[in-house]
Amino acid sequence: MRMKRKKRAQWLAFALFRLLGVLVVALLIWILGFIVYQGIGVISWEFLTTGPTEGMTGGGIYPAIVGTLCLVVGSLVISFPLGVMAGIYTQEYAKKGKLVQFIRLMTNNLAGIPSIVMGLFGMTLFVNTLGFGDSILAGSLTLSLLVLPIIIRTTEEALASVPYAFRVGSYALGATKLQTIARVVLPQALPNIMTGLVLSVGRVSGETAPILFTVAAYFLPKLPTSILDPVMALPYHLYVLVTSGTDLEATRPMAYGTALVLIVLVLIVNLLAHGVRNRLGRKVKMN
Amino acid sequence: MIKAESIDFYYGEYHALKNISMQMEPNTVTALIGPSGCGKSTFLRLFNRMNDLIEGTRLEGKCWVDGVDIYDKSVDVDELRKRVGMVFQKPTPFPKSIFENVAYGLRVNGIKDKKFIAQRVEESLRGAALWDEVKDKLKKSAYELSGGQQQRLCIARSLAISPSVLLMDEPASALDPISTSKIEELIYSLKEHYTIVIVTHNMQQASRVSDKTGFFMLGELIEYNDTKKIFLNPAMEETQNYITGRFG
Ligand SMILES: Nc1ncnc2c1ncn2[C@@H]1O[C@H](COP(=O)(O)OP(=O)(O)OP(=O)(O)O)[C@@H](O)[C@H]1O
Ligand SMILES: [Mg+2]
Repeated sequence: MRMKRKKRAQWLAFALFRLLGVLVVALLIWILGFIVYQGIGVISWEFLTTGPTEGMTGGGIYPAIVGTLCLVVGSLVISFPLGVMAGIYTQEYAKKGKLVQFIRLMTNNLAGIPSIVMGLFGMTLFVNTLGFGDSILAGSLTLSLLVLPIIIRTTEEALASVPYAFRVGSYALGATKLQTIARVVLPQALPNIMTGLVLSVGRVSGETAPILFTVAAYFLPKLPTSILDPVMALPYHLYVLVTSGTDLEATRPMAYGTALVLIVLVLIVNLLAHGVRNRLGRKVKMN
Repeated sequence: MIKAESIDFYYGEYHALKNISMQMEPNTVTALIGPSGCGKSTFLRLFNRMNDLIEGTRLEGKCWVDGVDIYDKSVDVDELRKRVGMVFQKPTPFPKSIFENVAYGLRVNGIKDKKFIAQRVEESLRGAALWDEVKDKLKKSAYELSGGQQQRLCIARSLAISPSVLLMDEPASALDPISTSKIEELIYSLKEHYTIVIVTHNMQQASRVSDKTGFFMLGELIEYNDTKKIFLNPAMEETQNYITGRFG
């Protein structure tokens, strides 16, 4: 009798979970489908390869695509090496003491700072104090601050998951700590470190607030020629299209088109990173 | 030649080795036997300073390898470990190819000569009685080998850097009888060039391969003598009890 009731409760719980799971997936598909449905109409070769015209009701978003790519590359070039090195330091080198705890705490705090505040800070430091102006450099630096904690964290976790026996085996052959980390530990941790990179790409390409005061141009149909140039960026362009065009109704399809491009871009980069990750993973396969 | 003098070793408060003095001659195989937890591995790890990696340990006394006081401040630990090879109980090949596993020690030594490396890899694999089984798949992952083969790979890995001392912590406990006898023959032949210390729980193995045997119990060296003497006519009652299986 009691067994039966227990079983029924379990069945009910599972049914509920399954329903919720399906619901989440359905919601996701709905959002994606909606954007594809609304945006696909304006996608054309011209849309992807020319700048906006006619008060943003015509033309395309090419400068914004290029701008976002610049920002993704720029911020990851800065934050990936820095973050990985910081992660290696705290995980492998620093004595497990007060300092490391403090660094961990600060990293977590950094991760918790709202991105608009980061944007403000970036503007003060990079744009004004250091005099980079509204530029790819200033924007990339600001975005770097945003993703640094992600990269440090995933690096630490990736390193920690490499079994200790490998290090011991390496030391026993006379390898130094640096050699052990570079030749045995890092190659094994790399696939997991790539996860941090994937997460960062999504974050960087989608953020609007940090680039608002540091790089993003409202309307700039030409391409950047140096890292000190401002650029358009997809998320900000989307924001502009939705809120401040001359003819909001006419720009609505352009907005959905931009959203679609942004999503597809993030998807492609993620798939690329996953591909790299899997290839690395295969190379260090274990059983 | 390696030598320990009045060694006391502590894991935090735990007194793991108690006043141990012991000298191992070159070109001999010394077996360390004793019940589980008596400190054999700890003692072995003194000689390549692997205990340094464990936090909260303390050492009193002195250790010499080839006449050098290895805990002296002037000693470079990485250099020491190139002279004192170690084979662990559990095989721990790196997630690299078979070739790269053996070449690893050479590469971290800064050796770049491809011909020399290839030659040394082959010699070492032959030395570890593994060459015939792997010569056609040197590029394959080390994880495609069986446990026993992996252990011989780890032995080959240690041999590649031409150490003068070889420490082996229960190297055959994961091997099948055929590999085990191969390893035992190997140990026997290697003593021509090395000072070998082997920890084993297998009494037959100790009596087969070693020239001298040290019996440990509860962190103390109870008896240390020629292997024949230890197994045929031990001086201490504890030793007698242990080797006849009445204890531990
Ligand atoms: N890293 C460590 N931290 C604290 N105590 C340790 C550590 N390693 C070993 N010990 C303790 O030191 C004692 C000796 O351990 P050791 O591994 O040297 O024994 P052993 O003779 O090799 O045993 P076995 O035959 O089971 O391998 C044991 O009581 C063990 O609990
Ligand atoms: Mg042991």
